[in-house]
Amino acid sequence: MSELSRKFLIGLFVFLATAFAVGWFHGEPLIGLLLGAVITLIYNIRYLLAFERALRNDDFAIFRYGDGIWQYIFSQYKFQRTRADRHKATYRSLLREIRRSTNAMFDGAVVLNANNEIIFCNRAAKNLAGIKRKKDRGRRVDNIIRAPALSKLLQSGDYAQSVEIPSPLNPDVRLSCRVAPYGGSQKLLFLRDITERLRVNKMRRDFVANASHELRSPLTVISGYVDALVDYPDLPEQWTQPAIEMRSQTQRMGRIIDELLELSRLESAGLADDKHFVDMGSLITRVSEQFSIDPDHAHVRLQIESNDGLLGSATEIESVIQNLIANAIRHTATDGDITVTWRRLDSGAELRVSDTGEGIAEEHLPRLTERFFRVDRGRSRADGGVGLGLSIVKHVLGRHEAELSISSEIDVGTRFSCVFPEHRISEPFSRRSSVHG
Amino acid sequence: MQVSDLGDHISRRYDQDLEQLRSDVLKMGGLVESQLQSAITAIVSGDSELGLKVAEDDYKVNKLEVDIDEQCRRLLATRSPAAGDLRLIVAIIKTITDLERIGDEAEKIGYLASKLAAMDRPSDSYRELKTLGNHVSVMLRDAMNSFARLDVDEAIRVAQEDDQVDEEYDAIARQCITFMMEDPRKIKRSMNVTWTARSLERIGDHAKNICEYVIFMVRGKDVRHTGEVDPTDIAD
Repeated sequence: MSELSRKFLIGLFVFLATAFAVGWFHGEPLIGLLLGAVITLIYNIRYLLAFERALRNDDFAIFRYGDGIWQYIFSQYKFQRTRADRHKATYRSLLREIRRSTNAMFDGAVVLNANNEIIFCNRAAKNLAGIKRKKDRGRRVDNIIRAPALSKLLQSGDYAQSVEIPSPLNPDVRLSCRVAPYGGSQKLLFLRDITERLRVNKMRRDFVANASHELRSPLTVISGYVDALVDYPDLPEQWTQPAIEMRSQTQRMGRIIDELLELSRLESAGLADDKHFVDMGSLITRVSEQFSIDPDHAHVRLQIESNDGLLGSATEIESVIQNLIANAIRHTATDGDITVTWRRLDSGAELRVSDTGEGIAEEHLPRLTERFFRVDRGRSRADGGVGLGLSIVKHVLGRHEAELSISSEIDVGTRFSCVFPEHRISEPFSRRSSVHG
Repeated sequence: MQVSDLGDHISRRYDQDLEQLRSDVLKMGGLVESQLQSAITAIVSGDSELGLKVAEDDYKVNKLEVDIDEQCRRLLATRSPAAGDLRLIVAIIKTITDLERIGDEAEKIGYLASKLAAMDRPSDSYRELKTLGNHVSVMLRDAMNSFARLDVDEAIRVAQEDDQVDEEYDAIARQCITFMMEDPRKIKRSMNVTWTARSLERIGDHAKNICEYVIFMVRGKDVRHTGEVDPTDIAD
């Protein structure tokens, strides 16, 4: 019991005891006690009424002085209320600031609860996706933005990836959606307008495709004449060698154009379809046989440890294997070893091409799959590489949802590892005979 | 935060079932919207692959229709809904039929797109089909929005827009007839264009139907076949 309550009770008891004593002195103790109780009641009721009046007028000045229990209660009340009001004002202005700043963001942001219901959204979300701040509060976001890809993303719970959807307001505007979970089960949905970026990308792709296409027709004419020139019997002696060189260079140019076109096709295509079975064992064997015609290079060894094949495009996978082996041969001395491995992993399967060649310096590894990137500019042009092989490999693997990882050590060798996901792997159909390498 | 427009039932499970049902309808709507969008893109850009993909993917819409139908039947049998809930379920049963039809029309347009892609393209690359298509897909989007938000005013506005779609369809049909009379070699292509426009126009009708179900669901008034949808008639 606090000091104040004790004082209040003692005061009450003393007052009533005095009233009782005075009554007793006059011969009527009970009437004295009753009078005392009534006086106490009136005294306290006065405070109650004064409190009501103070609440109504919002004027607590009368309770400022005095140290009774009522004064204490009322001044505490006043104090707490003032403090709460002040905090509320602070929070309100803070909230207003937050809202203002989120409204200034270029990206749409939507706060979602565990059921994907909208709690809050900023102005950009309204402009990009047509979410109405007041009307849509509490509605599920996938009821308002109904793109199938988004509801799939929200249900999958895998928030590492982003999806691209058309804006509900204008199908020509593309939005990229990302979800960031926070605070237990809440989520933040980000919407970003990527129309411009996609348009620039498309322009670049179209330019490369159109330019390559335009270059092809004049090149066909040139290579036709060059071929005729090489075969011309009366060609002066000193022109034979240049003509042959011209032919090989036009062929090389044709190859570059073909690969550029192939690359731009791969870039604009989506995922490879997963209905066709590719027998990896026999495909690897067949591709490596193409290289064994010319024995003047490192030995290619095959390690085919699984009968399982891949679901995807056979011609594209063939070009992956071909590019990887050709690449390894170019960078490995003739007495070196190249190993092509196809094996199952715990989840998925791996295609690996490793060599005992010169290796690639660490700093070049991240740029290796860029178009026309060369570690050693002068050298590799001479040995027939076009500079697009690994780029093609990367895009084909992307189309097959595979991951490419490259590890290398100078003078020890390089290893290209392509890991395909489990759902792209299939057992050979029973009617097919599986081929071992 | 629950939206209270589905009411609060004593059984929380019932609320969740109704909410889930409505979300599934909107999911189906989203799928149909994207199907329609792809079909229009296929026509305009002459992408036969995309057109065939739309036609192929129609089974997803059909599957959702069957699923939702099943859910509705189960709710009717186990919960014996009344008043607003009953109207909701009845409206949903009707809405999914129209959505499924829209899916079928989109499938048809997808097929036609793959056919048109193989023919000569006119210099304007089917601009009038693009205009009509965009108009119709905006209508469908707004119809689904009014369904999501239970927004009667929006539903009335969308339903009234159908007349414009009909006019645009008439214009395309007339244009095609002129082309066919001028040059018999264009008959095949013009027929395909007419059929596409016809499908789009049908989609507009279905979107209008959905709006009418929304009005029925919220206000309990049946506004079908009463000529012009009159806003004063449906006031609360």
